[in-house]
Amino acid sequence: MKTLFSLVSRHCKLYFKDKGVFLPSLIAPLILLFLFIAFLGNVYRDSIRSVLGAFSALVSDGFIEGVAAGWLISSLLAVSAVTIAFSANVVMVQDKADGQAKDIFVSPVPRAIVSVSYFVSTFLVTSLICLVAIAGGFVYIAIAGWHLTFADVLLCILDTLLLVLFGTSLSSIVCHFLHSQGGIAAVETTVSAAYGFLCGAYMPLGNLTAWLRNALMFLPGTYGTGLLHEHLMGAAIESAADSGVPSELIAGMKEGFDCNLSFFGTAVPAWASYLVLLCSIFLLVGIYVLLCTVKFRKKGNVQTR
Amino acid sequence: MKMIEIENLIKYYGQVKAVDGVSFSVEKGEFFAFLGVNGAGKSTTISILCGDLPRTSGKVLVAGKDVDECPAEIRRKIGVVFQASALDRPLSVEENLRNRASLYGITGEKFQKKLKELTALLELEDILRRPVGKLSGGQRRRADIARALVHDPELLILDEPTTGLDPQTRKNVWEILDGIRKVRGTTIFLTTHYMEEAADADHVVILDGGKILANATPLELKNTYTGDFITLYHADEERVKLLKIPFERVGEALRIEVKNTAAATELILAHPELFSDYEITKGKMDDVFLNVTGKKPEGSL
Repeated sequence: MKTLFSLVSRHCKLYFKDKGVFLPSLIAPLILLFLFIAFLGNVYRDSIRSVLGAFSALVSDGFIEGVAAGWLISSLLAVSAVTIAFSANVVMVQDKADGQAKDIFVSPVPRAIVSVSYFVSTFLVTSLICLVAIAGGFVYIAIAGWHLTFADVLLCILDTLLLVLFGTSLSSIVCHFLHSQGGIAAVETTVSAAYGFLCGAYMPLGNLTAWLRNALMFLPGTYGTGLLHEHLMGAAIESAADSGVPSELIAGMKEGFDCNLSFFGTAVPAWASYLVLLCSIFLLVGIYVLLCTVKFRKKGNVQTR
Repeated sequence: MKMIEIENLIKYYGQVKAVDGVSFSVEKGEFFAFLGVNGAGKSTTISILCGDLPRTSGKVLVAGKDVDECPAEIRRKIGVVFQASALDRPLSVEENLRNRASLYGITGEKFQKKLKELTALLELEDILRRPVGKLSGGQRRRADIARALVHDPELLILDEPTTGLDPQTRKNVWEILDGIRKVRGTTIFLTTHYMEEAADADHVVILDGGKILANATPLELKNTYTGDFITLYHADEERVKLLKIPFERVGEALRIEVKNTAAATELILAHPELFSDYEITKGKMDDVFLNVTGKKPEGSL
């Protein structure tokens, strides 16, 4: 256990001390922030007003700002949880590329512990950054217009941690096959650029064509993003009822902003989204364990202390 | 007592035979040099020795234990200095040593004691808190050696430890390694491109194409694979030509190769007028390597 703790601590230190690893991991969230400030923020505000139509006169600017802020922060967290996990796993690939892995493997530490240490450190680093982002996000939402309940706050943290676990498992599998700096840089860039679109963080799924919307519903990340949208925007949107906005319109808005997802026309309840997320995490972790076991067997020495 | 025993080691990569029936042994406390060009099978043999690579067949024992049966136990006895530094560049030397020590269960006061010892041995005081990325090649090498010694290994494997270092730093590194060997009695297993570094070894193995071509002490190798050289100063080249034996010009001097010291003595006594200012030297390890493998050593100038 001490060895595991020591390896995890080393990987975490390396991530935060190596500017070449830490700073690129913030690219995807920064792109999203930039897009929001540049034009997406106004697009969302206009979109909310257009959905409300004549009822937009009934709601306050605080309502619109609160919904827009909820969308931004939920999208930011959904993207960060996965893209930062890929960046945090750079430590594993760098170790393989620079020879540190070889050095660790000539020590008596079992290979399984080394693999677990990369997984745990990736989860911890990503969780830490996301928890800081959550704290910052809550401050921003409080300034824009706070409508969240205590349950929303807790569920938002749970959703983020589950997405981090999902991102950690996925990135661990991908990074298992990478052995060069070039390889991980290519993967990091691709994931940073594409994941936001693929999980419905940049654009509500409702804005996409039906076939693409249905295709994205096969990706587990979409369900995590949907949960975050619901827990950071749902209460804000529902608060419009206090201003006299009809419940049908509120339900439409929630669907339009991916708070309520549907799979080929069937509504997906929150528990089903959690189930999809959990099953995918178990599956991905299982695949990672299998890959590691096969690799250790090939090396010929799954050792014991 | 034998520190390493390798018998008929064979390693295939697919259809390629990387190590072909290699057998040798290294005594405890010995300075052993393992020479060969790139692709000779040195790294493969080292990886098998460290339990990092399975062998196809053969016996590999370290301190009397089979590497496949007790890998963890054997790894506690081995320290490796890799050709490329294995230190984490963003971390300080102390952090690197602390991380490494913890892999062997050396923490807390035990680590502090070990750190103090290594700091004194390798003169690390000035660089202990500096990030590895900001150190010079020589300083980094000292830190690398400290990292490999942090758990008091009985066997220190040095994989081309001085490649890329300037001559003065190379000399310093060797002074440190000699000190470690003398003080601790550590067995040193060296691979190097600089053949002269192997000249001080107790025992040398030359490997080529996965096979051992020579296995002896440096003196035996020099006597077997090279002749002696008489270097003549202020000699008349035309008169030397009349001897009808091969020679070459080396700067201002002429260098004559003879079979051995007896032949050199005979030549000098037969032509005393030519040999007024001269020296007799043994062949170098570079010449040994060239004559054994037919290949120029990669580190030769």
